[in-house]
Amino acid sequence: MKKLPKLLCTAAAAGALAFAALPLSACAKNSNELVLRVSNWEEYIDLGDWDDDELIGIDNPYDAEADGIIGLNSMVDDFTEWFNGGDYGFKVKVEYSTFGTNEDLYNRLNLGDKYDLVCPSDYMIMQLMREDKLQKFSSEFFDRNQPDNYYANNVSEFITEKFEEFGGNEYAAGYMWGTTGVVYNPEKVDVEDVKTWNILRNEKYARQVTIKDNVRDSYFPTLGILNSEQLISGEGNADELLNNTDDETIEAALQILKEIKENVYSFETDSGKADMITGKVVANYQWSGDAVFIMDEAEADDNNPTELWYSVPDECTNLWFDGWVMLKDGINGDERKQIAAEAFVNFLSRPDNAIRNMYYIGYTSAIAGDTVHDYLDWNYGLDASEETETETYSYDVSNFFGEGAAPIIVDRATLEIGDNGEINRGRQLFTQYPPENITKRSVIMEDFGDRLSEINQMWINVRCLDVKDFNPAVVWSVVAIVLAGAVAICLYKFRYQIFYRRKENKD
Amino acid sequence: MKLKLRFSRSQLCLPYAVFLILFVIAPLLVIIYYAFTNGQGKFTFDNFTNFFANSNTIGTLLYSLLLSLTTTVICLIIAYPTAYILARSGFKKQYVLLMLFILPMWINFTLRITALKEVLTVLEGNISLHPFLNSVIGMTYDFLPFMILPLYTSFLKLDKNLLEAASDLGANKFIVFLRVTLPLSVPGIVSGITMVLLPSMTNYVVLDMLYNSTYIMGSLIGSYFSAYDWHNGSMISLVLLIIIFIVTLVTNRFSDKDSDSRRTVL
Repeated sequence: MKKLPKLLCTAAAAGALAFAALPLSACAKNSNELVLRVSNWEEYIDLGDWDDDELIGIDNPYDAEADGIIGLNSMVDDFTEWFNGGDYGFKVKVEYSTFGTNEDLYNRLNLGDKYDLVCPSDYMIMQLMREDKLQKFSSEFFDRNQPDNYYANNVSEFITEKFEEFGGNEYAAGYMWGTTGVVYNPEKVDVEDVKTWNILRNEKYARQVTIKDNVRDSYFPTLGILNSEQLISGEGNADELLNNTDDETIEAALQILKEIKENVYSFETDSGKADMITGKVVANYQWSGDAVFIMDEAEADDNNPTELWYSVPDECTNLWFDGWVMLKDGINGDERKQIAAEAFVNFLSRPDNAIRNMYYIGYTSAIAGDTVHDYLDWNYGLDASEETETETYSYDVSNFFGEGAAPIIVDRATLEIGDNGEINRGRQLFTQYPPENITKRSVIMEDFGDRLSEINQMWINVRCLDVKDFNPAVVWSVVAIVLAGAVAICLYKFRYQIFYRRKENKD
Repeated sequence: MKLKLRFSRSQLCLPYAVFLILFVIAPLLVIIYYAFTNGQGKFTFDNFTNFFANSNTIGTLLYSLLLSLTTTVICLIIAYPTAYILARSGFKKQYVLLMLFILPMWINFTLRITALKEVLTVLEGNISLHPFLNSVIGMTYDFLPFMILPLYTSFLKLDKNLLEAASDLGANKFIVFLRVTLPLSVPGIVSGITMVLLPSMTNYVVLDMLYNSTYIMGSLIGSYFSAYDWHNGSMISLVLLIIIFIVTLVTNRFSDKDSDSRRTVL
């Protein structure tokens, strides 16, 4: 039995290897079941499990049996059930994963991870398009004559027009969109100060504002500050000014960002929401969807309910969107995969599902149509039959829902209406569906292209301690401490030698 | 039939060797490859010169060093008497006391730092006004058990007869401490320092969570990697690795010397 130990060892080694290789070997494949690999942002889809009282009580033409819209199961499970119950001729299994940032997704794709359908942001879609990594949607998907093509029939013109600007309509299907702005506490912040991005470096609110911890969301308001005068007067071309990445602009942005760094409470990735709700900060840079979430939570806070507002600074706002794109690498010419991927997008675009996602995550869906409009009215509109003292305002949403869409009747106190009728600050409805005067000054931020590494280096330089900026005395004292440490170690060594010698002497 | 399993030493090493090759050596080679190549995959020293020519990376290195040294010193100042008292207390109490110090380690680290953030907010008001101080407190909180444990073990191992002998020979308490206790606890101090100094140079989660927006080495590496710049990121990792290597080399020498000198003391 001498061979056994060796055998065992080999087995152990083989086991270790197999363990390491485990993720590489895919699960057994069922020829009738197609695996659709979908990757989406974290917390960016309805996960179901709603309470009964969360039922959205509007007409649901897509489910005759239901008396409204409610998310009982997760959206992905509902899709699987819906697809497998249809007459596609094959079954599908969704492998759903999430990513944290666009860069994270891009890195994964470059490392060889394969996905069929992903949901990156505008600039990443542009970059992937340029790198020829995207698979076009089929013409059937956009066929408006098919009533079952929920995306084609319900997507807002506003979104398709924006997609047209960069030629993305065939490659991407819009999912969520929004603006960027400042969430603020009107009791603690002067309205005049939130009219400009300069609030981020306004010393009046030193260490009481937050900004996002990523280069794109920091660069944009910085350029807003830099070009403030031109943007407000309307002299300059906003698209050009805010997509400017020449050396001079980057250098100027670096200086402003350093000032911002000294002034803000934090560069946050996610903590800004909680800090705003708990009142640790009085204003923060936010994406509109998260702004809605913050406002909802802050007023629902039992201990300290606060009414927060959302302001879009006068200079500009970053219009962003996330869209579903199919990857050539993943689909790999497989027609069934493309059908399943398109069906997934189509299912998410079915207005009742779009509403479920919107309700669950707080963002604004790219889907328009009557059902979504009903949902808005249900969610924000004042009941016309009830007699109240409230002064009302007819909020126009036709820029998103198309000509002829009925305005939403809301409480006038939830909006700040300027003398010229423009609305620049408001509560949830304003945040989710910005009026035309906002979308007019919105700018889509393109990808940085070959200037990416310069911008990234600038961002790193902002966050690093620059020896040159620093008081030489402090630098030297640091060096002195290090040296003192080294000397102390030497002394210690020396100590033992003294000790040793003395002992020797005694002997 | 009697089954006899006999492994030679080298065979027992095999699982670990496999692990080592797969998850330590192989990634290290990848890092070295990226550190000395550019975007086109050609060999270059540019990343290396970039590191030392950039006043920002040097600033970050100094900042990390300052932060980790301060943390280590404070940890040592707190841990040394604590470990001494723990090791000297009565047998039964000892484990309970030790448990009290080790207990925080059982709680998830991010949870602890979040709690610390709230405590600091109560104490300081706006915590973003003292980023460096908060980072030091956070790191100390996080790494203190790593300093206490090795010191505690080295105090436990300390032979009480030696102390008695020293007193018998006329040394007062201070001299006993200086000439016997302190030299004998040096191995504990050294391993405590290595366990605190090196991780605290890169543990940027603490800084992020306590709103210190200045980068340390860990965050710098992370930011290069998330910006697709694997080459500079790898170079910084490599430089850091070399620094760690040198520190370990020095401290190892130091504790070796120490065990030699202990022999002469005995």
